[in-house]
Amino acid sequence: MRRKPRMRSVWVFHLNTGACNGCDIEILDVLTPYYDAERLGIKLVGSPRHADALLVTGPLTRQTYYAAKAVYEAMPPTPRIVIAVGTCACSGGIFYDSYAVHGGIDKLLPVDMYVPGCPPRPEEIIYGLAQLLGLVEKKVRGETYRDEEHEFRPEAPIVDRLWYDLRQVLTRIVGYFDRETVLNEFVSLVKEAYRRSNPRQALRSLVEEYCAKEEDPRIALAMRLLLNEFETLVDRYRDEGYPVEDLLKGLE
Amino acid sequence: MSYVTLPYPFKPVEAPPEYRGKPVVDPSKCIGCGACANACPPDAIRMEIDEAKGVKRLILDVSRCIRCARCEEVCPMGAVKLSREFELATPRKEDLVTVIELKLFRCRVCGKPTEFTVRQVEKAKSLARYLPKERFEEILESMTLCRDCRRSRYVSKLVEIEIRGYVGSMGGLHA
Ligand code: SF4
Ligand code: SF4
Ligand code: SF4
Repeated sequence: MRRKPRMRSVWVFHLNTGACNGCDIEILDVLTPYYDAERLGIKLVGSPRHADALLVTGPLTRQTYYAAKAVYEAMPPTPRIVIAVGTCACSGGIFYDSYAVHGGIDKLLPVDMYVPGCPPRPEEIIYGLAQLLGLVEKKVRGETYRDEEHEFRPEAPIVDRLWYDLRQVLTRIVGYFDRETVLNEFVSLVKEAYRRSNPRQALRSLVEEYCAKEEDPRIALAMRLLLNEFETLVDRYRDEGYPVEDLLKGLE
Repeated sequence: MSYVTLPYPFKPVEAPPEYRGKPVVDPSKCIGCGACANACPPDAIRMEIDEAKGVKRLILDVSRCIRCARCEEVCPMGAVKLSREFELATPRKEDLVTVIELKLFRCRVCGKPTEFTVRQVEKAKSLARYLPKERFEEILESMTLCRDCRRSRYVSKLVEIEIRGYVGSMGGLHA
């Protein structure tokens, strides 16, 4: 890293090198009163000739390569800070192996701050800027783990597999965010049912009880679908010779 | 007096619960199967086999990650999770790389590294009680051989079948 003088206020020029606009919108967010980057002395300017720093977004397409170069050369010779905002600017991101991109602004310019994210949240961009201003410290660092340093336990795989399959079903109904919560509810019902003498029947009545109490019809629907899918899967595993019901009884 | 502006970075904020931040691989769970590397759209996760050292490396480069959570979706061990960690800005790109080194299983015939990790074989062994016996032994037998030994085993099996067929047809001719 090149040492740059610590500055009180940084004037930035926003340079889009072929971004999908996601990152650009986040940069706009940073300038809104809610995030208000100007309280940190960061000011957006309209010309690179007035800029201390470049906020670069995008994977550096072949089209923008020379324009980006011209912008950099138009900046005053110091401090010429380059901030790569977004995964695209850091490394090319999702476009990294396209014929039309160079894959990251660091292929052309020396970068002083990488802000990964697709797009990064406004807080992430502020965090990067604040680091340049010396307000916060860097948090991440590269890690190498070796397997001998970490104990490994191969866990009960078929039951795990069962939950993964059910999770897939759930994703289609309730989406990514709610699925864990709904699945955990269902798993607790399964555990409850498999403690009783007739687990199949018990699970059905437990799910019915749950659905009667649940106010959100989508969750009730998801529960019924899960029950259906669960029974199909358990039957299939049993037919293939896996002792899945015994394993379910063994769950705590 | 009330303020609209968020006091960040002077006061910490938390990402919302559904936020997908930096992917974190749990080194005590990962078996090095490479499912995540296969699924990762921008190849932020790569698998590398280092035969000289006898290790397999999972290399996660967060500076290329688009946070799609496909790795989390496919991981059979539930080893990778997208955390809510978002304060990732760094002046050095190396800070964003996580490496997990897993020892490769050595071929039971010649001792050269196979393409499976020790953990993968352990995991497969833990499946023993769920699979029919012959099927399990077949899997384990081919898992514990290196590529060359596996190839020569298949070739000799094929040759055996060929010869049997040939002798059979000769027998047919003489009759
Ligand atoms: S990092 Fe993601 S959001 Fe930003 S420009 Fe690239 S694709 Fe768009
Ligand atoms: S899919 Fe999971 S277990 Fe397989 S290599 Fe990736 S993190 Fe490891
Ligand atoms: S979240 Fe998506 S891009 Fe990031 S490592 Fe996982 S699969 Fe790759």
